[in-house]
Parts: sequence; C-alpha cells; structure tokens
Amino acid sequence: MNRDITSYSIVGRIGEGAHGLVFNARHLPTGREVALKKILIKNLEDGIPVNVMREIKALQLLRCKYVIKLYDMFPSGMSLVLVLEYMCSGLWDMLHHKQQELTLPRVKAYAQMLLKGTRYMHAHYVMHRDLKPANLLINHEGVLKIADLGLARLFWPDGGRPYSHQVATRWYRAPELLYGARYYSENVDVWAVGCIIAEMITKKPLFAGESDIEQLAIVVQHLGTPTEETWPGRSDLPDYHKITFPECPPMSWTDILPDVDPEALHFIKSFILYDEKKRISAKEALKHSWFRSKPTAANLEEMPKPNPNAKW
Amino acid sequence: MFSTSSQRKFWTFSDESELASQREKHNLEFISRHGQHLDEHQRYNYFLSPEEERQLLKQYELHLKEFCKRFQPPMPKGVIGTAFHYFKRFYLYNSSMDYHPKEILATCVYLACKVEEFNVSIGQFVANIKGDREKATDIILNNELLLMQQLNYYLTIHNPFRPVEGFLIDIKTRCTLSNPERLRSGIDEFLEKVFLTDACLLYAPSQIALAAVLHAASKEQENLDSYVTDMLFRDAGPDKLAILIEAVRKIRSMVKMVESPARERVRVVEKKLDRCRNQENNPDSEIYKRRMREALDEDDVQYTGTSRMSLDTSGVTQVLSPSAS
Repeated sequence: MNRDITSYSIVGRIGEGAHGLVFNARHLPTGREVALKKILIKNLEDGIPVNVMREIKALQLLRCKYVIKLYDMFPSGMSLVLVLEYMCSGLWDMLHHKQQELTLPRVKAYAQMLLKGTRYMHAHYVMHRDLKPANLLINHEGVLKIADLGLARLFWPDGGRPYSHQVATRWYRAPELLYGARYYSENVDVWAVGCIIAEMITKKPLFAGESDIEQLAIVVQHLGTPTEETWPGRSDLPDYHKITFPECPPMSWTDILPDVDPEALHFIKSFILYDEKKRISAKEALKHSWFRSKPTAANLEEMPKPNPNAKW
Repeated sequence: MFSTSSQRKFWTFSDESELASQREKHNLEFISRHGQHLDEHQRYNYFLSPEEERQLLKQYELHLKEFCKRFQPPMPKGVIGTAFHYFKRFYLYNSSMDYHPKEILATCVYLACKVEEFNVSIGQFVANIKGDREKATDIILNNELLLMQQLNYYLTIHNPFRPVEGFLIDIKTRCTLSNPERLRSGIDEFLEKVFLTDACLLYAPSQIALAAVLHAASKEQENLDSYVTDMLFRDAGPDKLAILIEAVRKIRSMVKMVESPARERVRVVEKKLDRCRNQENNPDSEIYKRRMREALDEDDVQYTGTSRMSLDTSGVTQVLSPSAS
C-alpha cells in the first residue's frame, strides 16, 4: 500500500483546525482508525506554518500513553496530511455535555493521566503552552491524552532564549504570560493543569476572563495583589507597570471554591501560585495525598467509554 | 537526546563508502531513467558522473555557507548546521540532476529557520536572495513539502554546538587549562569547516564537538589528552576510548582535507547540468508550470469534494472556548 491518501478511507469530518480540516478515517492495510489532519499550504504566505513544524517535532519526540501519537505524514496535492491517533471524545465535551459522568474518582483518574502526560513532556524539555480541556482528548477506552502540540516547544532548563507570550488560551494562561513575560518556563503548563483540575472538580472554569485584562483582574482579585513575597521579580515583567488593579488581599481558597474538600483545595492551591518557581511540578503533584485520600482514582474499567460512532 | 534520536537511527552511516554507494545509486538511476535513447558514450558526455555531482554539491555547500553568513538578520549557528544536515541528507537520496542544488539550498535554509525557531517571514528571507525574489519565493514554497518528504519528516537535528558548550563548562570546572575561552575561535573555525565534510553523516555531534575542542587546544599549543583519557573516559573502558580516538582522528583529517572545488571544473559541470537536468523539476520549463497548475487544481477538487461528507459542526467545540491564536 502506498504511503498516501489512497491507503485511507475517509469516514467523516471531525472538525476544523487552524490550518485545515480534520477527518476521521480508516487506514485500509491495518484497519486502524485514525484522524487525518489536512494542512492546506497553498494559501499560506510563509509555507508550512511554524506551528505545524512544532507539532511534528514534538510528537516525533514524545512517545507516551498520555500524549497523542503521530503515526505518519504525507503530502496530498498542495496539502500536508498528518496521520494522528483517533480520539472519539475530549474533556471539553465531558465538561459541557456529560458533567454527571465526571465523578470525583474519575476526575482523579483524568488528573493523573493529565499529570503523567505533562510530567513526560517536561522530562523531555517540551512545554505545551496551550493546555486546556479542548486539547485533552479521550479515546474509546477512556484514556485521556494531551493533543494539539502546535504551540509546544523545547525549552532549555537554563533559560536564556525569549519565547512569545502570546500563548495559552486566556482562561488557562499563567499570570506571567498575562504580564507579557518573554522568559518563562514549563511552569506555565502547571498553572493550566491546576485550572483544569479545579474546573473538573467544580464543573466551572476557575478564572473565566472575557478579555486579557479582565483575566488578570480576576486572578488578582482572587489571589490578592502580588507582593514581594508571593511574587518576586514581577516588576521586571514587560507589562507589569502598564496596568494597576485596586489593592486587594488574597481570598481564602475556601471562599474561592466553597464545597471543595480541604485536601483538594490544598492540591489546587499548589498549582495556582504567582511565583512560577513555587508551583508544584507535575512529578511532585502525582505524589500528592489527594490521590491517596478516598475516594481514590477510578480504574480504567470504571472510566466513561465514549462511543466512537457518536458525534461529539 | 541524540542517543535515541532519528538522527542516530536513520541518518548516521557507518562509513564513507556507504555514502558514496548511496549517491552513486541515485546518479545511475537518474541516468538509466533519462538516458534510454543514448548509448554509453553519449550518456557519459551528456549526464553528470557521480564525481561531477560531488564537485557540484561541494561548490553549493560553499554557497550555502556564504548565504547563511551574509544573512540578515544574523543567523544563529544552529540554523546553519541544520540547513547543512538537510542539504546533505537530501542529496544522499536524490541526484542533483533531478533537483537543482541552488533551489534545494534555499529551501533547506528556509526550513531550518522554521525548525530552529529563527522566525523570519518568506519576505524577509528572500530579501537575502539576489535576482527575482518572487520566483525565489515560489520555488522555496513549492519545494518545502518535497524537502520534508525527502527528509522522511525527521526535522530535529542534533548539532555539535551544544556539546561544545558542555565541554567548555566541563573543562572550566575540572581542568587546569587556563582560560578555556581562548579555544573558541579555533572551535568555531573547525566547526565551520566540518560542515563542508560528511562528518555529520558519520559521527555523533558530541564526537564532532570534541574533535573541535581538541583541535582548538592543539592550535593553542595545549594538550587535553589527559582530560579525555582520565576524566571523560575514565570509567568507559579501553574499547570505547579507542573508538572515540579513531573518530576524532578521522573527523580532524576530514576537516584537514577540505578544499574548494576548482572553479573552472564546476563551471563546466553547471553548463552540463543546465542541459541534462530533469525539466519536470525546472521551474522555468513549461512542463513544470503545467504540473504546478494541475496540482493546484487537483487540490481544489479534493477540497470541495469534502463538502459531500456529513457537515456536522463538531468543530464548534474549538470555537466556544477562547483560543490562543
């Protein structure tokens, strides 16, 4: 069989990405169900987008159960087609349409899978930079995997190179990014993971700003005006002095998230910190007592199995 | 990590004869595909020999180096190294008679810019090219996908620059050598030349880096042999040390042998190439222009074809939550 489109039978259209369409297809020689991401290059001014290059590089490097797999690639006309692992559902869908299925043991299981994927990425010096429920997909077995690595890039542990601050979807964007930081670390992902875990527990986004400024205002309103102690180095951030918010004290986490048990609050709190150096690492987070306290994480058998044939 | 990389697995070869036979194979394939109507003697006069292809590509590697050195804004070393890797990899599996090196050269550098996160627009990029920039833009963008395909989509390159930094830090902390920074100019000069050889297709980036460091030390009348034997390889065993010593010796001798191809000779080869190159891949030929038009049209058909399928709007999930871009 050829390494081209003739080896696949298109089943349907799954969605639309930034640069083209995504199809659900079957790989005829193996019978494997795949997602075909077709990147139309013809109208792109600079050729193949850097985001696509990043995604390819990151996915070739990462081989982890909790990160989506890139099986193959081939050109088709003036397009490049990426052959990806097919995932029939996602966390966004769970949060919006199947909330009742998101029980605490299942939330813990998803949190574990998300953290394992994140730990793996960070161990390989890849930061994702756009973790959010819509990028966390779930397959027919109920396994959650990190997808859409179009903003993922390698970081050097010693810092040194500036990165773009226009990354991460607003609600999940770490405060240093909101203040325009160009030198940041994989801990921007840790902030996002904290937001996602809180959202899974409460079924509501933790900080849902309508604009970048409102996003920052909401964070400050909850965590309090940053101080030298809670956030050293903040005043060096490019946009720190461009905007000031009314002085306010930090809210207590029991007020931010009422109805959430203390162990979970302690867990969430360790991600959602101004000072990126104080944020818990994905590796440490997996050892947190929240995972040991009852109810414990669900087994894979107990996880919801999205129906591959249903549209989502 | 290099040890688990595609570079080591698929793009590091055992010796120079393997490279030579690979190149010869593609040279002969091209000739048998395009020279059916010619006899042996005519073929010899009409097509490039493997040796002529080597001369030509060596000349274009020099052009590549010069192009990158003059590039504005100044280009990081990693981009240059990656572009060299791409160029060499491409012509290991393709004949220069099929794809003209001047076109592949620019595409390699452009792709390397993207992969190494040296973000320049195509407009900025072609501003560095003399001549018809619009045409250059078309050629580069049309070849980008071809190049990626020929690289088998392995884009990540491990260059010797980071290992060099590692060695320098290590030497500063563990050796008595005074002012190791003075080795830098010797190292840079060595690495510049190393990319004009096949060393990066044969040796690990750390071996090339070490060869550069040792070469620079000897230029400074310093000797780092005991650093290698007593520190780096103290616990590695004599076999590994022997392999490394041989690798370093070989890399240094390859660099020593670098010489520019004779200009007059290359001119003759280029003239020959103008005639024997595959017109299907010549952007100035009618056949090429027609093929590009067909590819564009075909894509339109495929694209509209998709609307026949169920247009369920599952894409809306992405629309409802705010996105990064």
